[in-house]
Amino acid sequence: MLDTLLPILLFSALALAAIGAVRRVRLWRQGRPSSVPVIKGLMQVPRRYLVDLHHVVERDKYISHTHVATAGGFVLAALLAIVVHGLGLDSAILAWVLLAATTSMFIGSLLVAKRRSPPPSRLSKGPWMRLPKSLMAFSIGMFVVTLPTAGILPEGVFQSGVGWFAALVLAAVIVWGLGEMFFGMTWGGPMKHAFAGALHLAFHRRPERFSDATGGEHRSTGLKALKLDDESAKLGVEKPADFTWNQLLGFDACVQCGRCEAMCPAFAAGQPLNPKKLIQDMVVGMAGGSDAHYAGSPYPGKPVGEHKGDPHGPIVAREGTTLVDAETLWSCTTCRACVEECPMMIEHVDAIVDMRRFLTLEHGNTPNKGAEVLDNLIATDNPGGFDPDSRLHWAADLNLPLMSDKKEAEVLLWLGDGVFDMRNQRTLRAFISVLRAAQVDFAVLGTEERDSGDVARRLGDEATFQSLARRNIQTLSRYRFSRIVTCDPHSFHVLKNEYGELGTPQTPADYHVQHHSTYINELVVAGRLTFKAWKGGSVTYHDPCYLGRYNGEYEAPRDVLRALGIEVKEMARSGYRSRCCGGGGGAPITDIPGKQRIPDMRMEDVRETGADLVAVGCPQCTAMLEGVVEPRAAIKDIAELVADALIIETAAEKSPQRQEAPATPRPALEVTP
Amino acid sequence: MAFEALFKPIQIGSQTIRNRVVSTAHAEVYATDGGMTTERYVKYYEEKAKGGCGLCICGGSSIVSIDSPQGWWSSVNLSTDRIIPHFQNLADAVHKHGGKIMIQITHMGRRSRWDGHDWSTLVSPSGIREPVHRSTCKTIEVEEIHRIIYDFTQAARRAKEGGLDGVELSAVHQHLIDQFWSPRVNKRTDEWGGSFENRMRFGMEVLKAVRAEVGDDFVVGMRITGDEFHPDGLTHEDMKQIAAYYDATGMVDYFGVVGSGCDTHNTLANVIPNMSFPPEPFLHLASGIKEVVNVPVIHAQNIKDPNQAQRILEGGYVDLVGMTRAHIADPHLIAKIKMGQIDQIKQCVGANYCIDRQYQGLDVLCIQNAATSREYMGLPHIIEKSEGPKRKVVVVGGGPAGMEAARVCAERGHEVTLFEANEQIGGQITIASKAPQRDQIAGITRWYQLELNRLEVDQRLGTRADEATIQDLRPDVVILATGGQPFLTQVPEWGYDADTDKSLVVSTWDILEGRVAPGKNVLIFDTICEFSGVSAADYLADKGSRVEIVTDDIKPGAAVGGTTFPTYYRSLYEKEVIMTSDLALHKVYREGDSLVAVLENEYTGALEERVVDQVVVENGVRPDEALYYSLKERSRNKGQTDIEALYAIKPQPCLTDGGEGFALFRLGDCTAPRNTHAAIYDALRLCKDF
Repeated sequence: MLDTLLPILLFSALALAAIGAVRRVRLWRQGRPSSVPVIKGLMQVPRRYLVDLHHVVERDKYISHTHVATAGGFVLAALLAIVVHGLGLDSAILAWVLLAATTSMFIGSLLVAKRRSPPPSRLSKGPWMRLPKSLMAFSIGMFVVTLPTAGILPEGVFQSGVGWFAALVLAAVIVWGLGEMFFGMTWGGPMKHAFAGALHLAFHRRPERFSDATGGEHRSTGLKALKLDDESAKLGVEKPADFTWNQLLGFDACVQCGRCEAMCPAFAAGQPLNPKKLIQDMVVGMAGGSDAHYAGSPYPGKPVGEHKGDPHGPIVAREGTTLVDAETLWSCTTCRACVEECPMMIEHVDAIVDMRRFLTLEHGNTPNKGAEVLDNLIATDNPGGFDPDSRLHWAADLNLPLMSDKKEAEVLLWLGDGVFDMRNQRTLRAFISVLRAAQVDFAVLGTEERDSGDVARRLGDEATFQSLARRNIQTLSRYRFSRIVTCDPHSFHVLKNEYGELGTPQTPADYHVQHHSTYINELVVAGRLTFKAWKGGSVTYHDPCYLGRYNGEYEAPRDVLRALGIEVKEMARSGYRSRCCGGGGGAPITDIPGKQRIPDMRMEDVRETGADLVAVGCPQCTAMLEGVVEPRAAIKDIAELVADALIIETAAEKSPQRQEAPATPRPALEVTP
Repeated sequence: MAFEALFKPIQIGSQTIRNRVVSTAHAEVYATDGGMTTERYVKYYEEKAKGGCGLCICGGSSIVSIDSPQGWWSSVNLSTDRIIPHFQNLADAVHKHGGKIMIQITHMGRRSRWDGHDWSTLVSPSGIREPVHRSTCKTIEVEEIHRIIYDFTQAARRAKEGGLDGVELSAVHQHLIDQFWSPRVNKRTDEWGGSFENRMRFGMEVLKAVRAEVGDDFVVGMRITGDEFHPDGLTHEDMKQIAAYYDATGMVDYFGVVGSGCDTHNTLANVIPNMSFPPEPFLHLASGIKEVVNVPVIHAQNIKDPNQAQRILEGGYVDLVGMTRAHIADPHLIAKIKMGQIDQIKQCVGANYCIDRQYQGLDVLCIQNAATSREYMGLPHIIEKSEGPKRKVVVVGGGPAGMEAARVCAERGHEVTLFEANEQIGGQITIASKAPQRDQIAGITRWYQLELNRLEVDQRLGTRADEATIQDLRPDVVILATGGQPFLTQVPEWGYDADTDKSLVVSTWDILEGRVAPGKNVLIFDTICEFSGVSAADYLADKGSRVEIVTDDIKPGAAVGGTTFPTYYRSLYEKEVIMTSDLALHKVYREGDSLVAVLENEYTGALEERVVDQVVVENGVRPDEALYYSLKERSRNKGQTDIEALYAIKPQPCLTDGGEGFALFRLGDCTAPRNTHAAIYDALRLCKDF
């Protein structure tokens, strides 16, 4: 009987799965077009899965091993089951392999079950709680049913007496297993992740983020430019169907593992954002319905079941509620901790900015100080609304060389809007003293510089971003320099990763851009700086998101600190897992309330190290962390630490003493604030 | 950005000034070696530049000719090329920190002294005597006028060759240029006097000659008065005419404007307004000048607070603010604004200890900042944390010495406990602040209170420390700054008794602290002649008492400085306080409900009597030594401060010599009554190396 039943069951399940797949693909295809290389993409799946995805999964060894056993076992078992039981190929060898595969899968399912007893809060419950049992059902069912084929049980053991009854039970178990694994895969069960996930890897909208055989860094973190020239086109994403189809596909790949949730600073601060829930809401919107079935942690302060959406309805309601509330979108600091952690390579930040673009550009609805900041950027080219001619006021005593005078320089020093902030001016002054100590040929744009456009872009104002960026590109195109160096990771990121797309053949915008820590490290390595011994207390280092996760620069700042004689006491969350200061993505401007402040949590991370000082490399981080009430560690930019430690031969020491009046002895260098 | 107006650079002639804050020209009394800007001078200005000051105009009343004596106030001497290399040091030190430095140059004419140094014959347009310096002078001759014009050009050349950024021609404070301007002292009938143009001529010739000498790439400014405040002097309208007249030449790069003339004691007090004045009392005069000129206008005079400065600049009243005493009190004023440490700025309280020393020919010092102008000795404005052992320090007494000792020890990183018997710190400053117009002196305490809180000093207020409480804390260092008590027991015939009901006399402290109600008819006997006596008189008169203040010294308030006694006098005369000198308090006795004070004439011995209902005696402070002697024997250093180390600003040897027990030091009035600066200076130099 089983011999007859099994092929029917298998092929019915496969047929149903195929129908489901078609329906699922239709759901995705509601999205805007996005051309992808289909065959090439599909060919890339194994590498992207085994190398790139595995690289992320591997960070959690337990689940990595579990997944290898379970998924590897399943894929092999499924293929062999089709061959052995579906097509009836009576091969003892294949049967033995099938037994091994199901055993592996069974062991894996035990580990899955163990992880979920009880499940940590970041994991979704609901249907996911039955998944380990379904895995067991499939593996046990297939194992037992294969025993006769392998010759371990006699052929026909399921065909009489007790055997009949066993066969019935077994069939039920197999139906359960097949239902979950094949039918569920395309009809919205937990196994959907395998189907959508594989295709997501194939048709990912950022193929450049995946490795290739040539090796090297593969990173794609710059936001994609919005085409503004079509006046009839809707700007940004209003409805789920406004996402591109492969973005929708990406959302559908989510396994609800909650790694993003565990890393999200806004979620931890009790702001109404949970990246996992947001992705699930996009899935709800794509398919239509309510979020009542969502079985994970809600947005803090927002009960589940009150929101619903459909593919062609607005995601954010102008009044009342639909799928997602605006404050959820404005809580994001764009720190990329979620993207960095996501084993399914989902691009949460892209989606959030897409939706913000609509709110800002089409509704003019940027909350709190957002509208004012954007108005300032439009009117004055800086977010604070300062007189653009006052950009160099802080440096009146430094005689900074101007590009407009020099026309060319080795280093173009990009100052950023920190020029308007007295705290950041100290960092800039310190860095300038470092450049001068190393006798670097540098120049600044001075009043020709404009805001880089970072904040405008993260707030969704793509038009202002592009306007600022294009004018900056125009300005830069007039001068010759071999690199741009900046103390601001946000400027660094947009100049390096987001201007390129806006360049033209006449004014290309592919610059060699460096963060000051990287450049200082080069100067140190080249022996152009000498330091006094470090006499301060213990130091920890806070990775700025836009330097670390966005651009992969984790080592240069640490190398510089080491060169100063500082042994960095690392925070539990550092490097790619660094916790955001709360200052990115315009979050301090939109200022969505939570239960606590993100920088307070970050300074608590600092406190746990016992460090007296936290070294930073970003004006936003400096401002956010210094805003935390004392007692707390002191906050200093790497440039300040370097400048404080410099040993400089002054011109006076080199030249012979003046006659008649004895020169007063002078200290090596003082950085006047 | 906060303080945007303050931090907006400005162009003065060829120079870009990084912000709007100026340390204006004042006589420092630091030049040595015949008027050279040597180490102390350089370090004093370097500290301001390091602290972020935009422009320093140094050398108030620096002389261009040898018949304008510099020795009396150790002012800078630009009459010799010897100054040039010293200027180079000065310029380098300021430029290194991004500051700009110019110097005031002048010939003081009759406004000096002739009875010393070269025994110069002073010159002035019409030979009229100057009252403040009691100086007589000759009527200047035309040949001398031309010599001095040439001297101005050579002085300007030396400033330029020395790398300074500019010169300021002083035409204020009744120096030679404005002596020519003012019809009050210029009675000439030749081409140098009489008509407006004639009175302007000398200054104009100086300006033209100087500009011709230095060219366009060097700043030449002028400091002028906004109104001499004399009926026969230059009025505000006159000064607007003068300023416009000079401005029209296009040769002046800026004007500095000072309210008031200063050739009498009373007008002098306006020029450096003490704490009795409102903020920026003469801003309107500077603003009036700004109306008629096309170049930046600088104004100083009671601008002490960054918010005040910002408000003045934002309002556009003037282009730059002089914050000169503010920088004497805290040369890191600007840096602290930029560091977001506004609460840590030591704000000038207008005690005028600085300028009152200067008028006596003494070096300018700050009542509350002992490091100012002692940078060259190694006294720091910013106390570095000690790298040595962390010590347990007990400070007893929260007056000036105790507050400074506690602050410095805490900055050094030690664990500090401060005992103060009163409910608030401040010591005698608190008493002094009770007098009318003297409340701002409490600003000294306010700053210490903020600092001690910031530094988390354990402050045991309302707690009188004794031997046992101190021993219980097992201190490494004990600093006694317990002050003293009014010394009323010196003359038994005064009839002092610790029981106020029985005592025939009370102290100025009793009055100012409100422990004793003001009498109706009060005699104050003040043999000290500093602030307490006149403060008590002003206080009592303010409460409605009829007051006579008597001293056996030359005049009541004789030891109060030259810019401060006039404001006391204004108030005392207005309140009909009788001021009597040359009488000592011989005896007090009771007669019925009244008290009879027997006064003895210092010079004839004649006795006279006053029938009053309250006798207040100011006889200084008697040190409180009891606690010291109870601890002395147990201390490792027997209470002795190594004065060689102290004076050399070196660490006290007893701290490192080993030995049993705590180190014991005494500071301030509990040793011998001196003044606030002395107490703070000793505390700083003693504790800075703990």
